[in-house]
Amino acid sequence: MFFRLLMESFRRQRRRKLLAGIAILLGTTAVTAMLALATTIGDRIHKELAVYGANIVIYPKADLLDVKIGGVDVKPASGGSYLKESDLPKLKTIFWGNNITGVSPELPVELAAARQSGGTLFPARAVGYWFDHDFGGLKTGAPALHPWWKLHGAWPTANAATQNAMNVAVGMKFAQQLGLKVGDKFSLHAAPGVGASSSTATVVGIVTTGDDTENEILLSLQDAQMFAGATGSVRRVEVSARTKPEDAFARVDPDSLTPAKREIWYCRPYANSIAYQIREAIPGAQAEQVRRVEQSEGNVLSRISGLMWLISAAALLAAGFAVSAAMATAILERRGEIGLMRSLGASKGAIAMLFYAETGLLAIFAGTLGYLLGSGLAAWLGARIFAGDGGSAEAVLIPVLLPVVVALALVVALVGSTPSIRAALRMDPSAILRADA
Amino acid sequence: MSEAKVQTGPLVDPYGSTRDDCAVIALKQVTREYAGHGSVVRALGDATFSIVAGEWVAITGPSGSGKSTLVNLIGCLDRPTSGELKIDNVDVASMSATELDRFRADKIGFIFQQFHLIPYLSALENVMLAQYFHSMTDEAEARAALERVGLDKRVSHLPSELSGGEQQRVCIARALINNPPVLLADEPTGNLDAANQTIVAELLQDLHRNGHTIVMVTHDPEMAGLAQRRIALSHGKVFCHPVGGPMVTLRR
Ligand SMILES: Nc1ncnc2c1ncn2[C@@H]1O[C@H](COP(=O)(O)OP(=O)(O)O)[C@@H](O)[C@H]1O
Ligand SMILES: [Mg+2]
Repeated sequence: MFFRLLMESFRRQRRRKLLAGIAILLGTTAVTAMLALATTIGDRIHKELAVYGANIVIYPKADLLDVKIGGVDVKPASGGSYLKESDLPKLKTIFWGNNITGVSPELPVELAAARQSGGTLFPARAVGYWFDHDFGGLKTGAPALHPWWKLHGAWPTANAATQNAMNVAVGMKFAQQLGLKVGDKFSLHAAPGVGASSSTATVVGIVTTGDDTENEILLSLQDAQMFAGATGSVRRVEVSARTKPEDAFARVDPDSLTPAKREIWYCRPYANSIAYQIREAIPGAQAEQVRRVEQSEGNVLSRISGLMWLISAAALLAAGFAVSAAMATAILERRGEIGLMRSLGASKGAIAMLFYAETGLLAIFAGTLGYLLGSGLAAWLGARIFAGDGGSAEAVLIPVLLPVVVALALVVALVGSTPSIRAALRMDPSAILRADA
Repeated sequence: MSEAKVQTGPLVDPYGSTRDDCAVIALKQVTREYAGHGSVVRALGDATFSIVAGEWVAITGPSGSGKSTLVNLIGCLDRPTSGELKIDNVDVASMSATELDRFRADKIGFIFQQFHLIPYLSALENVMLAQYFHSMTDEAEARAALERVGLDKRVSHLPSELSGGEQQRVCIARALINNPPVLLADEPTGNLDAANQTIVAELLQDLHRNGHTIVMVTHDPEMAGLAQRRIALSHGKVFCHPVGGPMVTLRR
């Protein structure tokens, strides 16, 4: 009888229930979309950011031995230790070698520059790079790892230079300082007693980077090696690799794990495990995950999810008020019914139960629908926000969200309808006879 | 019988206090006051009378005389401000609200002027609703109750598909379903045409013959005449009259 009563009365007052149901539906849709995005957004942002820049850097192990005096690092910025350029192909041989999507070695060298030969010398920092290097079939280099660099002109071509004439790109600020345009020439001088002494450089490109690189000269790696007198050497290598987002397991020390666990760790493409494999592959190399990106990722995430929680809470609150209003009129319209039930001996509890079951049922329907709609919305939003990564609208059906969302809908509906149900029960049951005059 | 036969003035219960032993309903100086705006409205004052099992009593009086107040008290929908009200020898005043709900389901069968059927439930289900709130539903019993009021062909009809008289008969079946010691009818024929009034009146007479106690509010002298006794209300005061009539035989 209870279910019959519930079902029949559930089907009544469609307009009012539709109103309350839509309120719950909208609230839960927003919450589902927010929750679904919040849980997947980490992956998506990571994917997005992973397109840019390195997530692993390699440098000589010797750099780990910090030389500090009075807290100040006195180790020379371009210290004497180097990695061998000839070791870099070993990167392709590690377990996750195929996940490496970009490699950019660097060799900084301090030079002096003059606008004209014999003119005033300015100190100038130059960095040797690969620009479009064939790395075992992978075309890579500094531009690939710094996709935000804007180039006017062309990148210097490696091996095109002779000892005395070379092509370079210069940073935008450096170009302004010396009044250089694409096609201009200037003279470059090495520090006394090191490598080649001087050369005429032709500006083939001007680079805007938004950072210190704008004050620098960008050379081919070979030319930098020549100036530094360090043939076949690199100072630092940036590596971009497809990685699995970092989790707690990613951060463990692999050497503290059991062999079986260590194997699992090793075979997961965490940035950490890839760095570990690089250390194994290249003797004398220290490889580390770059955290700069991930930290900003974390900031973005916490800000976004804060906002999402706010929106979700607001949506639910609005739903609660809407349910409250809809139920108030719905129950008011049914005072007669309530009075009759009281006259038949129904306790307040039995009647409250009926109305709560009714709103609960509504909440379950609307909540489930809201979950589905919200999941769709999340997929759509995800595809919109992250359109750049070529990802299609992935379905974001997260099953654990269903009970969460339905529970939220229930809480909102039950709390929202409580004032009207209480008011209905406070009503004097004798009103049923008063109605008859 | 006519209005002229009605004596006025306060009366002692003509059957005396010995009747209290077999009284289904017994009021002793029952007063119900409503707190109005600044003043107190005495809807019923010092009512003392009793109704014995099997009796059919009509409650009459002009509008505002306290009929509904009295029916609410007897129906356990309300409690007296002062005085003692016993239904089936249990004092209602001492009961908690939940106990009163229970008690009402057990003791009182309501018959309303407006029928008060749940519009989305069939005739059968409306009867079963009373079973549900009382204890357990029993479809066979509910069908039997509808058959008794002559609606065996109408069990699955919705109230909107029934005539007023049929609706009132569903209401009577519902009132009977839990075998309450008291049937409380508020203007049971107030909304019916003459033909249906006759059917309902005959049904009530039949119930009376079968020993049901009926307390009935009515404006209709003809209906009041069917009762054995009239309780006339005037300004919250009770006047009891024995009403004689050819078709009434008081069992004693
Ligand atoms: N809930 C109430 N609050 C205040 N006054 C009431 C209430 N119910 C009834 N009354 C008053 O009590 C008196 C008797 O009312 P009622 O029992 O409804 O009379 P009847 O049913 O005979 O018309 C009337 O004066 C009415 O205004
Ligand atoms: Mg009245």
